Amino acid sequence: MDQTAPRSIARRRFLRTAAGTTAGMASWLALHKAPAYAQKRELTFLSWNHFVPASDDELRKQAEAFGKANNCTVRVDTMAHLQMPAKIAAEAQSQSGHDMYRTAGADPFLYENLLVTVDDLVAKVGKQGGGWYSFAEQSCQTKSGWKAIPWFWVSFPGTYNMAHFKKAGFDHPPKTWDELLKQGKVLKKQGNPVGIPISHCSDAHSTYWSVAWSQGAKVLEADGKTPGIVSDKTAAVIEWYKELYKDAMEPEVLSWDDAGNNRFILSGKGSWIHNPVSPYNAALANKQPIADDINHHNSPGGPAGIHSAPPNLSMGIWKFSKNQELAKEFIAYLFQKQNFDAWIVASNAFNHPPLKNLADHPIWARNPKFAMLPKEAEYAHPRGWPAKPSEAVQRIDDNYIMTDMVAKAVNGMPTKRAMDWAQEQIALAVKGQLKVG
Amino acid sequence: MAVGPRVLEAAGLPGPGRQSRLREWWEQEHVFGYGLIVPAVVLLVALVAFPFGMAIYFSLSDYWVGSPGAFVGLTNYRDILGNEVFRQTLQNSFVFTGIALSLKVVLGVWLAMLLSRNLRFKRIIRGIVLLPFVIPTALSTLAWLWMFDSLYSVVNWTAIRVHLISAPGPNWLGQAEYAMAAVIAVNVWRGLPFFAITVLAGLMAVPKEFHEAAEVDGASSWGRFWYVTLPLIKPVLGVVILFSTIFTFGDFNIVQVLTRGGPINTTHLFATLAYQVGLSGGNLGQGAAISLFIFPLLALVVFFQLRYIRKE
Repeated sequence: MDQTAPRSIARRRFLRTAAGTTAGMASWLALHKAPAYAQKRELTFLSWNHFVPASDDELRKQAEAFGKANNCTVRVDTMAHLQMPAKIAAEAQSQSGHDMYRTAGADPFLYENLLVTVDDLVAKVGKQGGGWYSFAEQSCQTKSGWKAIPWFWVSFPGTYNMAHFKKAGFDHPPKTWDELLKQGKVLKKQGNPVGIPISHCSDAHSTYWSVAWSQGAKVLEADGKTPGIVSDKTAAVIEWYKELYKDAMEPEVLSWDDAGNNRFILSGKGSWIHNPVSPYNAALANKQPIADDINHHNSPGGPAGIHSAPPNLSMGIWKFSKNQELAKEFIAYLFQKQNFDAWIVASNAFNHPPLKNLADHPIWARNPKFAMLPKEAEYAHPRGWPAKPSEAVQRIDDNYIMTDMVAKAVNGMPTKRAMDWAQEQIALAVKGQLKVG
Repeated sequence: MAVGPRVLEAAGLPGPGRQSRLREWWEQEHVFGYGLIVPAVVLLVALVAFPFGMAIYFSLSDYWVGSPGAFVGLTNYRDILGNEVFRQTLQNSFVFTGIALSLKVVLGVWLAMLLSRNLRFKRIIRGIVLLPFVIPTALSTLAWLWMFDSLYSVVNWTAIRVHLISAPGPNWLGQAEYAMAAVIAVNVWRGLPFFAITVLAGLMAVPKEFHEAAEVDGASSWGRFWYVTLPLIKPVLGVVILFSTIFTFGDFNIVQVLTRGGPINTTHLFATLAYQVGLSGGNLGQGAAISLFIFPLLALVVFFQLRYIRKE
């Protein structure tokens, strides 16, 4: 029939066009290459949702500026930090994904074989910046070279509510963990407990390492293979936690995520937390009156001195990336003084530079509440210390072993049994390391 | 009737072109039939069989993220059984599934009975009941996270205001028993509509005459339910319980959002522990072993339950 003829031709034409398109698309996929007219270099960077969102805005601004200057696009993707390990593992396993990502802690050791060696970039940037802080350097320098470049670290001071302390009759914040316990008992009775998370979150790790080191305790021996958790010093740490939990904190610390302690101090109920300056920054940003009451002080110490385990963030480039050189150029661009300075300002002193020359930014001196923050670098060690950072250390953190040991103890498990449990788990983490190595 | 090429040749007519021969081949019953199921088979192989095979392979090897390992037999299974956290997870999974499933069965049937009545705005109510099942779990669980928050828990606030509990109320996500109760409550809240709506479909198929006959015989409402309704909806109930057992054992989102397995691993389920060990910790071998551990048991449950349903 006449009526069907044009329809049949149209259908054939459609089929031909569709087949051609499919074949074309298949060839792009097979060649892993975009068609010529669409080719523009795109660098992709996976980072975290920063605790001070303005910092991510500044990062994206700089990425755009770099893209314009280098005829490329830089895409910055961000996600919740607790979800990053799984996302990164998936990219490592599938050998595809972003060109570079924000590493944390001992990640560069976990993915040593899969990350590009960046010795040249580290040497260039490090020289311009007056050298790296030792703790930052150790977190990236593996046996096979620098597998990431230190990006920034986050000071972990005591954050306290001055009004609550004053009301309780204390004229200064705690200088030692023992003093925190004494003050905390009074503050809790006053209705303003202190708070340290004993839960599955990163802040719980940061504080545990700090308290343990200040007491002289360790998790691994210096060889990085022998578990060193069972000791009188760890027992003292656990006893301290038990007393603090019972007399100075409330059970809610067992359920906190990383924002839990922030909410606690911002609610006006909490009197003291061990945390970066993000609650203060949030209070300022939201014009909350409590900002006036919040202040910071250096992390407390113990019989073995003051020690701190600041979150230490770096940038790594995957070996599967097709844009390795572009990634290095972008990183060098971020470290240009004016860019890094702008980034520090955007974070309102949250981002600390790992380079000594960049640490002289006036933002810390200008605000008395920030003045002591750079000093935290003097107390800092990479996690695992006195052992060097390793994938075993990363695994110990990732599996929340130390936190769970404390949680078990505060929930009634005898101290010795909790330590033995942790020892067994640490041995398993080390065993994993030995298998891979 | 189709005319073959030999007939055409004998009749002196030109033979069919390649296209017609192809069509003829395609239209044969055995080719066409298999041809139709090929896409489904390809999808099943690519999306189910291949990942499943990979998971079995991972679980039998010393495989770390980005670092292929050697075949180690059942070592991973032996190792996880020797780990206290895994044994705790095993216990959690049975407690979680047992309690959640029981509640969903009882409440689901009860809700279905209510929904089967002639209510006003019946359709709207049925639509609303489905909401927890329709909203993405991660999103709705975030709302629950706030409701169970240690400082701002609306659950505690309400219970304190109506004098059910005294301040400050339970620490829902920080204490083992409460945390388990919280994840079970959210799982029941989310899974209930699936039970209710499916059982409702079963109830609709029960002929009214049976109830009327039982009523005439003087059966009480409980008797009518126990001796008439329940036996008739048993097959539907069996299928729903089967599916729900699998889904509940494999739950991930609710625990991951609410507790991340805490406090002290007391709410870890197979999926969340496998995620922590396999992806966060990088030990794919052990992660796969954890997630597959329950598979033989679930396969047995499926086998016996399906056999029972078929008999019924």
